[in-house]
Parts: sequence; C-alpha cells; structure tokens
Amino acid sequence: MSFPFSADGQASRRENRKNMSKSFEFKQCVTILKSTGKKAGSLRELRDVISSISAESLIHHTYQYYLKGMIHEYTNDFAQWAGESLEERALAERLSNIDPYDFSAVEDIRKALVSAVDEHLEGFPEPRIAMPGDEFFFNETVTIVFPAGMRARNLAEFLMAVKYADGSSLYYHFFDARQRLGGFDDFSIWFDEALGKNVLAKRVRLIDPFMHSLEGIRERIAAAVDDEVRQDMEAAGVSP
Amino acid sequence: MIDEYKGISPKSDLALLRKLGEAFKGRSFLHINSTREGGGVAEILHRMVPILLDLGIDARWEVIRGDAKFYETTKKVHNALQGNEEHFTAEMWDHHFEVNRSNAEKLDLDADVVLVHDPQPAPLVEFRKKGAWIWRCHIDVSNPLPDVWNALKRYSEHYDAAVFSVAKFARSMPVDEFIIPPSIDPVSDKNRDLTDEEINETAKKFNVPRDRPMLLQVSRFDVFKDPIGVIKAYRMVKKYNDCVLVLAGSPATDDPEGEAVLAEVREFASGDPDIIILLLPPFSDKDINALQRLATVVLQKSLKEGFGLTVSEAMWKEKPVIGGAVGGIPIQIVHGVTGFLVHSSEGAAFRIRQLLNNPDMAKRMGERGREYVRNNFLITRQVRDYLAVWYAIENRGKNVLEL
Repeated sequence: MSFPFSADGQASRRENRKNMSKSFEFKQCVTILKSTGKKAGSLRELRDVISSISAESLIHHTYQYYLKGMIHEYTNDFAQWAGESLEERALAERLSNIDPYDFSAVEDIRKALVSAVDEHLEGFPEPRIAMPGDEFFFNETVTIVFPAGMRARNLAEFLMAVKYADGSSLYYHFFDARQRLGGFDDFSIWFDEALGKNVLAKRVRLIDPFMHSLEGIRERIAAAVDDEVRQDMEAAGVSP
Repeated sequence: MIDEYKGISPKSDLALLRKLGEAFKGRSFLHINSTREGGGVAEILHRMVPILLDLGIDARWEVIRGDAKFYETTKKVHNALQGNEEHFTAEMWDHHFEVNRSNAEKLDLDADVVLVHDPQPAPLVEFRKKGAWIWRCHIDVSNPLPDVWNALKRYSEHYDAAVFSVAKFARSMPVDEFIIPPSIDPVSDKNRDLTDEEINETAKKFNVPRDRPMLLQVSRFDVFKDPIGVIKAYRMVKKYNDCVLVLAGSPATDDPEGEAVLAEVREFASGDPDIIILLLPPFSDKDINALQRLATVVLQKSLKEGFGLTVSEAMWKEKPVIGGAVGGIPIQIVHGVTGFLVHSSEGAAFRIRQLLNNPDMAKRMGERGREYVRNNFLITRQVRDYLAVWYAIENRGKNVLEL
C-alpha cells in the first residue's frame, strides 16, 4: 500500500479537495492476505522481525486491524499477540496505546513499536515463548477498492447511506482515509469542505477510532449527522 | 445461483464478486484436483464452479487419474508433508511425474487461470500452455519432512503464486503466497436453516433428550479429535451440571485405527446413558445440521487439526464453541468473544461450566460467532478471494488496486 503520510498526505488531500464535488461517493474495499513467510516465537524475535519487516506488513498489523471489525481486546495485532499468546498484558496495553495516526512515516511506527518492546524487555522478567503454532506470523495485504454504488448529495442522503453502508466502506472512509489524507477521515472532510459543516466535522473527528467496533463508529456518525439534520430542519422551520 | 446468497453473505462480498465477474467475463478459470467425490476440496468445488459460471466466468473442473501406485505415493506425500516419517524412492517420484505427464496429454489445460489443488497434480505446471498458474495447498506444510518438501518445491516454485489456508501452514517460498481460509456453504443441507419439525425429527431418530443441556462434538473417531478427553471434560462438568453428551462421527470401517478408537470410546463411556455415541452414515448432512442446532455447547477439542470447519458450522448456528488451540481453530474462535480456546480436558470442563451457567454469555458468543463466520468463512468470501488473487496476479506489483 502506498503511504501518502504528512506532506504527501496533504498533497493527496489537496488533490482530493480539487476533485471533490458536492456529492459523496461511497467506496468500499477488501484485503487479500499475503504471507511474508516470517514469524516470531518470542518477544525478542518479534522485536527483530519488526525491525526489518516490510512497511506493508507493519501497515497491515496496525492500520488494517480495524478491518477485522475490532472484535479483539487490544488495538493492533502485535498488542493482541503479546496479550493473548505471551500473556504479557503490560506490554499489550502499552502497544495498544500507540496511535499509528500520530506518525508521519511508517518508519516512525516501527521505531515506536521496537522501543515499546525494548522497554518492556528491560523492565520485566523474560517472557515465555509462544506455543508451537501460536507464533506471530507476519502478513501483508493486497487491497481492492471499488465503488459501493451509493452517492449522497446532502446530509439527509448521507444519513440513509451511512446506515446502509457495508462495514468495509466505513473502514475505507473512516480509517484508511487517515493514511491517504494525512490523518483525517473522508466523512469529516466532506462535511467541512463540501457542505461547510465544520461543527459536525469536529464532532466526527472526536470519535475515538480505537475504542469502537465498526458498528459503534457507524452509530456515532449516524447520531451526529441525525442531530445536524434535525437542527437544520428546525432552523428552517420544518418539524423533524 | 449467486442470488441464493443475497441476505446471507456480506453485501460487500457479493458486490465485489459481481465486479470481478464483470472484469473476468468470458475468461476461463480451470480447477484441477485428484477426486470428483469425497473430501472437502471436491465438496467445495461442486458449489464453487456453478457460482463462477453464474458470474459469467468460463469455469471448468478437471480431475487427474492415476493408478494404485500413484495414490499410494501421494498418500505418503500427504502424510510426510504433515511431518510423518515416510520412505520415498526416486522411482516413486518418477511415477508421480509420469502420471501427471500422461494426464497433461489428455486434459485441456488451456485457461486464463489454472488453480491446481494439493500435491497430486502439482507437476502439471511443467505442461502449462498459457495463463496464470496457482498452486492451492490445503495441507499444513509448516513442518514437513525436508526431502519431500524439496521434491515438491521444484514444481511449486514454477507457479505464479501459491495459496495456503492459514498463515502458519505456509512456508517461505520465492513466489507470492496468499492466505485464503476454507469456507462453509450457508445454503447447503449441512448449514441451511432447518424447520422445528426437521430438528425434532433428528432428536427423535437418535433419542437425544431435550430436557437438559446437550454438549456435542462432531468428528471422526480419531485420537487427534480427543473423544476420550471430551468424555473426561463432560464428567467433570456433570458433578454440578446435569447434561447430555453426544459424540457424532462417521463409521470407520476402512480405518483399523478408527475402529480401535471407537471401541475405546465405547468402553470409556459404558454405563452412562447420558453419553450418546452416534455413527452417522455418509450424506448425513441434515442430521449433523440438526444436532448442531440442538446443542447447547459445541466442542472441537482436537489435539491436531487441519482447519476444523465444524467450528464454523457450529458458530454459524449461533452456538458457543470450545475448541482445541490447534490448526485452523484459533483462526475461527476469537477466545472469549466467539468461543473459548482450550489446552486440556480441565480447560474444556471449566469453559463448559461457564457457558452452562451463563446462558446470556453463551447467547452473546453465539451471535458474535455467526457474524464472524458471515464475514470470514462463507463460500462467497472464498470465491471472492480466488478471483481477487487472479486480479492481483494480473496487476502484480501493486498493493492497492482500484476496480
């Protein structure tokens, strides 16, 4: 996956704005897993492989975690493995608190992950190794993006569409967009830049991406848009 | 046919299937394996090929033929790839190749993409005419006998890509390796919705009591499925929780080891009328479906496992599943969310007791399990993935593809 972080991300955002029409086109995506053939059976091995594995693999195990629907306790695959397979909860919590969207380059995420593991290894007794077959397997993905067949021209249409949209569509616009657009989600950018709804945009940007399932994200976005539509109707003197 | 999955499979899977169908309209997709009947691969191909045709893809399925010596060798290859000690001679490998050469002369290998299933037809790649060739390995090759893996590697490395069921089954190879888990068919007799009458009929036929919770394991009578361990767990549970245990499997007439395991299970269970051992004949899919729906808790307490699709089958019926943490089971059971992973009979007993005494938790896990299967282990997702791999091969070098 290409990584328009930071400056590149801003360029993508400018490009996006240029192309942005009044309507919002919903897209969705699926990912196909690829094995890198690399695995780690201990925390030290995990650290070593994280240091050298492809950027695509790091991206998959951090950003793309949410495409799984946030069914697990922690917030990325490394944290989940540390917590579940090595039973190193202190490390799992620490890794879970790494926000991949804080970083402007994938290499910085790599450094943050390695540093968290190093500090844990220094401060805690040597953890056990994983059971055979329960090692950490490093994967990458190929992502296929395609139109979801839905387009919203105003907030009311958006509200209907977001309630109906597939989970992978929410993932693409709410999570994946942050990589493409320098940390912002597609929805709030459209609210702000195409509709001039900056209060709604701010409310959507305050939804914690790491603490909800895709359904939880959907509910919160729909609730925010619903409130906005009601306010607009009231302001126009129309009873909701 | 694809319309049968409307309202069942995720909308995104069906949408992408249609898009990929449009992209590959009229192009040819050939599956090759070594048997038309029996086994999970043939079962899934019987359903998959019509789905591909319905999408507008010119799908075909060819089967290679061999003699007894060929199948004797490939059986040994299968075992050795899973790490069992087997002896091979150069003549056996030559025969393996020659059988494939003779099949290559008879089969129409001309297709835009060719998916070759398992090691038996792997050498066919040497006779490729055109298109992309993909080797689909359904076997766990994480710890093979090195000589056997090396012998097969000379073929597998000539493919454009390889596909494994689970990342941990794969080995490091110089070709792209995709991970595509197997799947269940939600509209088949084994998984479709049943009426109350159909479920009652099965309960009556097998004298399964309905007045107490029922624990169920559906599997062959094989030491690696640990039926004795399941009975031990049931006995620990029974101390405070009245329940019934059903062990349902196929008769093992052609497997002396299976018969010995069955005899041992019968002896171990003897004297307990609440342990019901069922020998189901082939084509008992509807009865298995009903038993899974009758169960309160489903077990798959394997000690060694391939993928273990019975787990997804039970999850699809909204049952909490307790599984051994082996093979593909941890891919299906998210511990504490869609079921529990266990490492011992004691662990299984503890989790059964938790579920029997917390029906709300059991219900919640069952519901999450069904959604997890809907999103990850239905046949439409598997067809989608095969077509996506084909698309990825045709757009090699890109990680993000716009369709």
